[in-house]
Amino acid sequence: MDHFPGNWGNPRSRDDTYLESNDYLPGSIAQDHPRIRAEKTMSGFSCDEYISNPSHMPRAHTQQPVVTGTSVIGIRFKGGVMLAADNLASYGSLARFRDVERLLKVGDYTVVGASGDISDLQYIQHMLVNLETKEKYLDDGHSLGPKNVFEYMSRVMYGRRTKVNPLWNSLVIAGVKNNESFLGFVDLQGTSYQSSTIATGFGGHLAIPILRKAVDQIGEENMTEEQAKKIIEDCMRVLYYRDARSLNKFQRATITASGVTITDPYSLETDWSFAEKIRGYGA
Amino acid sequence: MSIMEYNGGAIIAMKGKGCVAIAADRRFGVQALTLGTDFQKVFPATDKIYFGLAGLATDVQTLSEKFRMKVDMYHLREEREITPKTFAHMVSSTLYEKRFGGYFCFPTIAGLDAKNEPYICNMDGIGCITTPNDFVVSGTAENQLYGMCEALWEPDLEPEDLFETISQALMNGVDRDAISGWGGIVHVITPEGVITRTLKGRMD
Amino acid sequence: MGGNIEHRFSPYTDNGGTTLAIAGEDFCVVAGDTRQSEGYLINARYSPKVYHLKNNAVLATGGMHADGVALVKRIGQNLDWYVHKHEKQMSAPALAQMLSTILYSKRFFPYYVWNTLGGLDENGKGCVFSYDPVGNFEKQHWSCSGSAGHLIQPFLDNQIGHKHQSNVEHHLLPLDQVLKIVKDAFNGATERDIYTGDFVEIFIITKDGVTVQKHDLKKD
Repeated sequence: MDHFPGNWGNPRSRDDTYLESNDYLPGSIAQDHPRIRAEKTMSGFSCDEYISNPSHMPRAHTQQPVVTGTSVIGIRFKGGVMLAADNLASYGSLARFRDVERLLKVGDYTVVGASGDISDLQYIQHMLVNLETKEKYLDDGHSLGPKNVFEYMSRVMYGRRTKVNPLWNSLVIAGVKNNESFLGFVDLQGTSYQSSTIATGFGGHLAIPILRKAVDQIGEENMTEEQAKKIIEDCMRVLYYRDARSLNKFQRATITASGVTITDPYSLETDWSFAEKIRGYGA
Repeated sequence: MSIMEYNGGAIIAMKGKGCVAIAADRRFGVQALTLGTDFQKVFPATDKIYFGLAGLATDVQTLSEKFRMKVDMYHLREEREITPKTFAHMVSSTLYEKRFGGYFCFPTIAGLDAKNEPYICNMDGIGCITTPNDFVVSGTAENQLYGMCEALWEPDLEPEDLFETISQALMNGVDRDAISGWGGIVHVITPEGVITRTLKGRMD
Repeated sequence: MGGNIEHRFSPYTDNGGTTLAIAGEDFCVVAGDTRQSEGYLINARYSPKVYHLKNNAVLATGGMHADGVALVKRIGQNLDWYVHKHEKQMSAPALAQMLSTILYSKRFFPYYVWNTLGGLDENGKGCVFSYDPVGNFEKQHWSCSGSAGHLIQPFLDNQIGHKHQSNVEHHLLPLDQVLKIVKDAFNGATERDIYTGDFVEIFIITKDGVTVQKHDLKKD
């Protein structure tokens, strides 16, 4: 399976032995698909009848993502956690929506960052808002912490994969509650783990080496928020340089004992002079 | 199924202190069917160089004859013994000549050079050589042999200790591979001569 | 340009890792490395896959991490129900049979997990059970599975089972020797298997309960 969210949303690279590439595009008609053509001939249905009667259509599961977000990265530092994700939602190689917020605040202690399918992300957001509301209505003195959100999301993701109807996302869950910081990961197959550095998609290749080197050298318990900010921004810059599905406009979430702050979208200074030295990259 | 797993087999070579050892199983089979228990997979090249061939049995025999001829021709032309390193590169070139559509054999070479320094190497089917300082393994029991050798091998083993180490590695390794085993053979090459022993093993 | 990129969803993944278990006279040792991988990426260096269960048996899971977590949760529930029904903890051999039944109940959509279960039997002797993903199981004296299972198994045959050691007295090894062998096994496996490394967690089960040791492995 392909684990690059950057590849997931490419409508041109779809497995066209299964469905024609224009089947899935919004507004397209599936009448040219061989299976539909064959059944139409056998049953004497007209194509329009066939399309308008959904009981004849295969049950719609998310077989591939459509509008996607790329990497989310996260790091733990002394007394807190920091996340970052850019504001781009791609439609294949088209930079379709440039102001999508992919870092969600959940409760008072947690941020969930999501890469992968944006509509599934919005569905997850809907679920988490509901969860938060129900939790508040109970009024039992308990409030959702990052561990609760992580457990909830890992069960939801695993449950959906077991129905072979996944939510096509990689989620990073970060937070601080009771002076305990938390950084966890869950993906569409239900795979989950906790680590002091996490990155999804391209970040797994480009950001993880930078993040782990920083943690090895400085140490999680010595790293200040300022240092974490610089490391995260270095990673986002590298990702912007090399990930074609990224955008130099992103948000950064910082979670400490004093609460959650998510920045407004901002950009980094870039310097493309290095590209001149790389054959095939620059001029 | 891979052609490299058609006949089965296992080969190890190890460095010791002033000595080297090479060992192989003795099975000849076709997939799960055992047809012979005295199949030769390790051959002498000179008095101080032995080579083992793991892989397709027909290529084992073809290549062993080819290498015998080439070593003899070297001897006649150069009027001196070939060294292990030269022999290894001769084997490598012979394999690479057939880069596209080659022999299905992974050779292992063990020997002492002119100064009686130990030399071991093995290579893939197209002649890419590796020369580690400890041991090399190949054949269908490769994984098992790696596990055994990593745990048992230590530096500077004397010939008798090297014999015990390579024998234990071989016998326990092949017992966890369905298409290797049925006895083994070990050669320990020392400056004084070669100690050759056959090993009894499980016959199932 | 490359060919089509695969987009169909696969519900399975392999997170690698190696586990083993060895039964002693009055103890049992279960161990596993703590690396979680996916392809060539290391997800986490400390993501335990060996679980201390409530009945003092220890379950080592390898293969797909998410399935392992789900399986252990299900076993945990069943162990609780058993206590409510019978007012005693389930024995390790009973758990062994139950685990097989649970695995087979998902015969046509299996838990992609290779289990190794260690504990003490009714007589206080160490026991080890190893499984395939669909519940085929066998009681053994020692066993290992996972990405470096092929590497370690013959070593255990040799060192624990004294295989091919004709002049040695055959006996069950004491705990200190077993622990040395476990560490050697994992250090060897870490050298050659990219999916094994970071830490090894060793659970020691005796009549007094379960203790855990954590040792470093190479992190490359």
